[in-house]
Amino acid sequence: MRANVTCFTRRISSWRQAIQQNNAAINAFVYVSPPSPPRPESKLPLDGLAVAVKDMICTKDMPTTSSSVMLKDFTPPFDATIVRLLREAGADLVGKVNCDEFGMGSLNIHSAHGPVINPFQTSNPVSREQPERRSAGGSSGGSAAAVAAGMCYAYVICTILSTFLLTKQCIRCLLCPPNANKRFRWGVISFADSLDCVGIMAKTVSATRHIFNTLNAYDAQDPTSVNEESRRIASRQAVRAWSGSSLSDLKIGIPQEYFPRELAPQVSGPVRDTIAALKSRGATVVPVSLPTTPYALSAYYVISSAEASSNMARYDGVEYGMRVASKNDDHFPNTAARYAVTRTAGFGSEVQKRILLGTYALSAEAFDNYFLQAQRVRQLIKDDFNRIFRIPDVLGYSETTELLTNNDEGVDVLIHPSAMRTAPRLDDIPTAESLDAYVQDVLTVPASLAGLPALSVPLQRDSDEWPVGVSVVGQWGTDETVLRVGHFIESLQ
Amino acid sequence: MLLRSWPQRTNNTVRLLLRGIHDERWPGWEVVIGIETHAQIKSQHKLFSNSPTPALKDAPNTSVTPFDVAFPGTLPSLNQECVDLALRTAVALNADIQPRSSFDRKHYFYPDLPAGYQITQHYEPIAVGGTVALTNRNSAIRINQIQLEQDTAKTTFDPRTRTSSIDLNRAGSALMEIVTEPDIRSPEEAGMYVRTLQSILRAVGASDGNMETGSLRCDVNVSINRAGEPLGTRCEIKNLNSVKFMQSAILYEIERHRALYVQGATVQQETRGFNQDTFETFPMRSKEDAPDYRYMPDPNLGVLLLPPQRIERIRRTLPELPWATRARLIEVHGLSEKDADVLLAEEMALAYFNQVCVDGRNPRLVFNWMIHELLGRLHSANLAFSDNPITSRQLGEVVDLVQSGMITGASGKLLLRDMLASPSASISVAERARSLSLLSDPTLDLDKLCLAAITALPSEATAFQTGANKNVLNKILGWVIRESKGRVDTEKARERLAALLEGH
Repeated sequence: MRANVTCFTRRISSWRQAIQQNNAAINAFVYVSPPSPPRPESKLPLDGLAVAVKDMICTKDMPTTSSSVMLKDFTPPFDATIVRLLREAGADLVGKVNCDEFGMGSLNIHSAHGPVINPFQTSNPVSREQPERRSAGGSSGGSAAAVAAGMCYAYVICTILSTFLLTKQCIRCLLCPPNANKRFRWGVISFADSLDCVGIMAKTVSATRHIFNTLNAYDAQDPTSVNEESRRIASRQAVRAWSGSSLSDLKIGIPQEYFPRELAPQVSGPVRDTIAALKSRGATVVPVSLPTTPYALSAYYVISSAEASSNMARYDGVEYGMRVASKNDDHFPNTAARYAVTRTAGFGSEVQKRILLGTYALSAEAFDNYFLQAQRVRQLIKDDFNRIFRIPDVLGYSETTELLTNNDEGVDVLIHPSAMRTAPRLDDIPTAESLDAYVQDVLTVPASLAGLPALSVPLQRDSDEWPVGVSVVGQWGTDETVLRVGHFIESLQ
Repeated sequence: MLLRSWPQRTNNTVRLLLRGIHDERWPGWEVVIGIETHAQIKSQHKLFSNSPTPALKDAPNTSVTPFDVAFPGTLPSLNQECVDLALRTAVALNADIQPRSSFDRKHYFYPDLPAGYQITQHYEPIAVGGTVALTNRNSAIRINQIQLEQDTAKTTFDPRTRTSSIDLNRAGSALMEIVTEPDIRSPEEAGMYVRTLQSILRAVGASDGNMETGSLRCDVNVSINRAGEPLGTRCEIKNLNSVKFMQSAILYEIERHRALYVQGATVQQETRGFNQDTFETFPMRSKEDAPDYRYMPDPNLGVLLLPPQRIERIRRTLPELPWATRARLIEVHGLSEKDADVLLAEEMALAYFNQVCVDGRNPRLVFNWMIHELLGRLHSANLAFSDNPITSRQLGEVVDLVQSGMITGASGKLLLRDMLASPSASISVAERARSLSLLSDPTLDLDKLCLAAITALPSEATAFQTGANKNVLNKILGWVIRESKGRVDTEKARERLAALLEGH
């Protein structure tokens, strides 16, 4: 952690002040950029707004470590597309934020920079005397905590959707669906490419939308994306299905599989209240079923680990990154054995565990039973979603000339709790052998596998309660619909 | 989609049907060979990055982008020029182009592979099937599949300092892997297959196909079995970089397998290398050590969709293919099979030949001047055809001068020799002929010259006239040619001499 407390010729923004004051306790920032020199006010859309990026997004003027020892001193030779777009829009890139190593984790405890502490504290007398150390969620815990603590206007992170929604405590986030926009991912260090996506986190839905629209507009100038046409078709279909002006013609689906018996009452209560409020304002609420949900978590871990094992193969200490020097008397039977020395020292235990799992899933003996099976489950999950949404999956039709028709029985969005329980205490974190840490993801994984846009909105709670988030999920390409529903939920409070 | 597993490479029934070639070198044994070639695609840029495809002379590690070095955060982007060149090859090989193909990652750790995986087409290649017809064989060699993939970097080991150096220029360049069925029956057929494939790749502009510079590399599978018995165990010989080495490696393997079988021993399935100094193969790894490549569909590249219109456009723009060219040379231009093959074997020779023939020149005449005179002189000076300093237009002018009778054939040869000795683009061929005094002189009195010759060589003239020695005419003719400085037409002079001597 490097703090830059030099004399600023420019007014230190409130965000930068908050970073100086609070970061030591929260451990959200792993690098803080020096304030940029003063310049005349511009009309740029993000002029002067403090924006931070996850430490997995490449910046040519700041280290990009992915919270890994492997990339401890790594500064990329280029800016990620998203970083370039932010700079062009006038944003003040204040620094890099903590995350789980290569994004692998749900609680932001697997970081070479140490865990992130949730900045939220309840107002009850006990916690005022002895603040609770709770997780800020993962893998983007740093971003979540920093937004909550007022350290910046917004964060741009790359993540797998599921872990992103988990980082729900007191923040909002919107995601571009995985792979939909490959340009957005250029310069984002891969964990699992078919699931990775760039997301935005901000304190309010409108701030989220502001960043999203700005970046989207800038990016639209680059005509290389093959999905741009699909995206236009999808948003046209979405507007035709629901104009977005009032709740009265909105149809919300409540997936029954997302309210299991294990769901904590502190979570289910506020979520049910929100659904009831939307209904009282005119929205149609129908129960829906996504029957493949119980298999999603296993499929997710097989696919993400398999892709991670492949993506991590490049970290061998030859071209860049850390290398453990070999001793003179070292004799290696092959290249892999030589690399193993560096990889053993450079990767943390969670990353090593997932590399081993993924390597096994791709081996000749396991491929059919694990990797292929998981891909089949992924298709079934997509089919589940396509059955219940009002508008069709535009991507799925791109290869045919078949006319796109809306399913009048279908819903516009799904609403469900973002996680099974409130933020876990860091001292209670399950041991490495336990599966509990993974089960937290169970509600967010299906949308991630299906590549759908999702938004988590925090619900207003009494001050002695830990925050709870509700997720809004839409069909591919309906980011605008999801944002509007998020607005309505926010306005209920 | 990716769920489909690839059909077994060796189809035993077909293999059994195709046998029956008897070779005197190993009576009673049958040889079965399959070849896997890697051809560098002659595209401007690499397969997935905008880095230029490197040239051999480039300094190490200069033609490299962050993607080629597998920097974190970089993503592949498929270069459509490479796809088009692979499609040209596929059409030329009569392969079945797949409307939908995809890319996979093949994983292994090696310093020449920065990402720890190579992107290739394992599950859904761009084309399957296909044939390569060989001139001396009735049935064509069947192609199993064609796939696009990345080339690796290059490592060089210095045994003195015991260090390896890595040159990343080649990393990520585009390759086509072209795999045959096990249809090849002898080392000679193997050589012919590779030469034919080279000529096809060059004709469609997909690859230089040059084995010496590594733009074409071969792995060969060899097995032998007693006639009528099931197939033997195959061994793969890796990285053969000339046709000669490939044929030697096959011969060595055939003898090695035969010796083992004769002793009652078995052949171990393994991968072998070839020692270019001893002309022997040596074991590299056994079947048990074969790595598990953990193939995985590449999650970034998606599927490659090839609509019929795109394939049709390729088909329309494809140049003449070698077998069609051969037929044209023989049937239309009246060349012999041997002459046609001479033209096809020499890189660039065919295009040159076509250019010289363009203005309606007699192809046979052009061939004689180009191959016997021009190429012959180049070869005797240890030069390749690509070093030829004479343009096709210049050679055309030489042929024209000779055919119009402006200069004699003998003068044409002198002229060509002078052009090779001091090439120049600024002096026209006719000017040069004039300055060398080679132009035929219409004022030259042939009869006068001939009579002078008869007078100068009286005993030879008598020998011819009495019929004692008809061949002596050549000697008299030689005198005429010498005296005229080659400016007389040899045939005319011969006729005239004979007529004068015989008293007409």
